[in-house]
Amino acid sequence: MANHSATHPKHVHHHFVDSNQQFESAKLGMWVFLVNEILFFGGLFCAYIVFRAWYPELFTQAALELNTFWGAVNTVVLIGSSLTVAMAIRSAQNNQKRGLEINLLITILLACVFLVIKYFEYEHKLHLGIAPGSFWNPTPEIAAVLDHPKANIFFGIYYMMTAVHGLHVIIGIALMIWLYLRARKGHFNSEYYTPVEITGLYWHLVDLIWIFLFPLLYLIE
Amino acid sequence: MMSEHHGHHIASAKQLWGIGIALLILTVLTVTVAGLGLPSPFDILTAMAIALTKAFLVAAFFMGLYWDTKFNSMLLIGALAFFILMVSITLLDTLYRDDIVPSF
Amino acid sequence: MASLSKAVNTVQMTPKKLKVKRFVPLENPTNTYLTDEKGIWAWLTTVDHKKIGLMYLGAVAFFFALAGFLAIALRTELWTPAKTFIEADTYNQLFTLHGAMMVFFVLVPSIPAALGNFILPMQLGAKDVAFPRLNLASFYIYAFGAIFTFLSLANNGFDTGWTFYTPYSSDTNSAGIIWVTLGVFILGFSSILTGTNFITTIHKLRAPGISWDRLPLNVWALYATSIIQVLATPVLAITILLLAMENILDIGIFDPALGGDPVLYQHFFWFYSHPAVYIMIVPGFGIISEVITTFSKKTIFGYWAIALSSLAIAFIGFLVWGHHMFTSGQSAVATTIFSFLTFLVGIPTGIKIFNWVATLYRGSILMKTPMIYVFIFIFLFSIGGFTGIMLGALSVDIHLHDTYYVVAHFHYVMMGGTLIALLAGLHYWWPKMTGKMYNEPLAKFAAVLIFVGFNVTFLPQFIMGAQGMPRRYYNYIDQFTPFHQTSTIGSYILAVGFLVILFYLAHSLIKGQKAGPNPWNSRGLEWQSTSPPDFHNFSHTPVVIHGPYDYHQPMEEFQLGLAVDHEYGDEQDEVAAEAHASLDTETTEA
Ligand code: HEM
Ligand SMILES: [Cu+2]
Repeated sequence: MANHSATHPKHVHHHFVDSNQQFESAKLGMWVFLVNEILFFGGLFCAYIVFRAWYPELFTQAALELNTFWGAVNTVVLIGSSLTVAMAIRSAQNNQKRGLEINLLITILLACVFLVIKYFEYEHKLHLGIAPGSFWNPTPEIAAVLDHPKANIFFGIYYMMTAVHGLHVIIGIALMIWLYLRARKGHFNSEYYTPVEITGLYWHLVDLIWIFLFPLLYLIE
Repeated sequence: MMSEHHGHHIASAKQLWGIGIALLILTVLTVTVAGLGLPSPFDILTAMAIALTKAFLVAAFFMGLYWDTKFNSMLLIGALAFFILMVSITLLDTLYRDDIVPSF
Repeated sequence: MASLSKAVNTVQMTPKKLKVKRFVPLENPTNTYLTDEKGIWAWLTTVDHKKIGLMYLGAVAFFFALAGFLAIALRTELWTPAKTFIEADTYNQLFTLHGAMMVFFVLVPSIPAALGNFILPMQLGAKDVAFPRLNLASFYIYAFGAIFTFLSLANNGFDTGWTFYTPYSSDTNSAGIIWVTLGVFILGFSSILTGTNFITTIHKLRAPGISWDRLPLNVWALYATSIIQVLATPVLAITILLLAMENILDIGIFDPALGGDPVLYQHFFWFYSHPAVYIMIVPGFGIISEVITTFSKKTIFGYWAIALSSLAIAFIGFLVWGHHMFTSGQSAVATTIFSFLTFLVGIPTGIKIFNWVATLYRGSILMKTPMIYVFIFIFLFSIGGFTGIMLGALSVDIHLHDTYYVVAHFHYVMMGGTLIALLAGLHYWWPKMTGKMYNEPLAKFAAVLIFVGFNVTFLPQFIMGAQGMPRRYYNYIDQFTPFHQTSTIGSYILAVGFLVILFYLAHSLIKGQKAGPNPWNSRGLEWQSTSPPDFHNFSHTPVVIHGPYDYHQPMEEFQLGLAVDHEYGDEQDEVAAEAHASLDTETTEA
């Protein structure tokens, strides 16, 4: 077998010609995966649109149960984390090990803040009996306001969308912790930061999805 | 085949912060507009227009599509196109039914 | 075997010119991917696309045998109008399991993940797919999904049919349904990973000289397939997840009892599953294009027409899903539009058939087993396609929907199309994959058995379907007895055919004659390596200086090119010479 070691840096797998081909492949692969993600969420958005077109009044009513303030705070939190991920990539590109670590840490922190806020939102709703599926059991006051036979469906969609999105946030946190540990060992530099780059792409998509979820779920007046 | 160039674009910190702040402003804007209570189709239209603008900023600059190969942008646009296709063809059924949920 | 050619080509490449020399692969390689690492553990942890392809092939064959066995049981039960030997409930579970396994475990992964995995990188002159570890992961995800499906059997099983229509699937038998839906959900990821991997590989890992207009048509077909996989499979995933939630939580989106819409489920399901029938058939088209040129010894007719029609099918395939829902209560507007759009699919499919037939014209046709399967394919698939068009006609379908006519239609396309193409590909690439030949007369005999058995099984189903025999029924009225019995006899002939194949392929593995690098004298890049191939497919990144179907050039001009990089010229010459004793070391400037 031809020996490429002279021209092959350690991080380049044997089946790639060079570092750039590997980087571009990883990035393309991630984009193709994001196409998947978009259509995966697309199914939920489609269900949302179909039911909203059928029952517009339901959506106006039900959205009142969602707290716009905390939804907006979470939007800002996710935007912030997108910014820090972008900064993390920039740090890696500039060989700034410290900057990379700090930015990753802030991102993880913001992602956790997002989940905590989401947790309290869920908690509050479950408390009022606005629960998914067979647990649907709104308190009398709520039932008086949410006076629609299909109210359970709106919240079915709400819970599916936010839970699937939340799952993506959790996966993102796990990936970011892994990146952080590798960054501390000095695995990344301006020559090789592919994992940071593609995890970043993933994280931005999680943000993108939320950018649409927020007005669609919270901002119906 | 060794490709000499390592021309990955490095965005400046100023650019990134600029985008972040723009996103923030747009978020405040969309909440404010929602508070105005525009009449029916316009509320959702403005909300979606603002969301699309935000999405564009994230995709173009945070995700670097602006500097990237066109093919990656095509993938994103293609995904959106197929999503729209799915929704619009489904609506051809659901919007034109006699009974919303047939026979139950 | 000495090298045949002394000519040296210069290939115009950006940014610099490459000097290229030719070599012929060794007749008896000592170092192949099969000898590279041995032992069961090396196989299970391999990231080599060839071994993963073979593992997939084994798994697919296993599930095919299992689901085929169920089919025989089903046909046997249908020998008499009333109960023959199994209970009605069991019958329902068996046809569901048969359909679900054949679709999700056999046909969807069969050509891309098994044969495609092996062949695609070789046709691109790549050492592997872009993400070898994801490739292995996809295999284990597939296995994991299979385990879930079996767990479902231990939990009441499921009897909804492979389509899992709501509300039946959300109201009955919850435990089994939950397991199998999760199983299908997991399988979807395996399919998505394969598609993602292939798209990236085709874009980024082509050897120097393989421009888009030199891509083998098999690669074009796999490319189109991967696009469908990436765009459609995630929708199946979310649908199936919602269905699972429907069972676990009563989330209500699809369940009319809770205010949801069961027809929306059908939209979601067919948004995936109609494109999925193209996930199954388009890779088959790729194989047919490869085999038909090799055995006609002629350039493919209408290269671009065939390549682009694959993409057209992939696209149009997304517009027609509602033809499965003509009787579902979907709006009249949608039905009419879907019926119209369905006819469009026939166009790119027809283009392919005409181009294949035109390729045969004045070729020097060699009737080897793979070629026989090509003819069987064209015959059976045309019937399947035409009956599809008939079903797409709105008024006709109201009568034929959910009858045996539909069953016959999709068996003609899925078995007569995809599976026959798989057999063509398997026989065609068998010498490459194993380095061994199989028994040609026996193989031809099996092909004839399968052709006869297939038609005896499924032609009567068109007739009784048109006469009103509904599908998925355990009992039937006496009038259909002769058709059902003919069909059952046909299925036994089919089974014998497959057993013969099993026998001679096993025999070939153990005692088969050595195949040599290129037994069919093909011009395809994958044939320019040793049989079985080197661990890295080619001992050195090849430079491709011809199209894959340049049969007008003599074979000796068609040897593989090796890049002679000026910077490392001497060093590489030595390395290459080591690997290939028969390397032509003479070079001259062009
Ligand atoms: C010319 C192209 C084709 C057309 C126009 C076509 C049309 C149709 C139509 C209209 C139906 C619905 C019949 C009904 O349920 O009433 C149908 C069913 C079906 N077709 Fe095709 N088809 C085509 C090719 C294929 C191919 C290539 C495959 C698979 C490889 C396929 C697999 C199926 C399956 C599995 C079903 C039945 C699904 C079920 O209800 O279980 N078709 N086809
Ligand atoms: Cu179809």
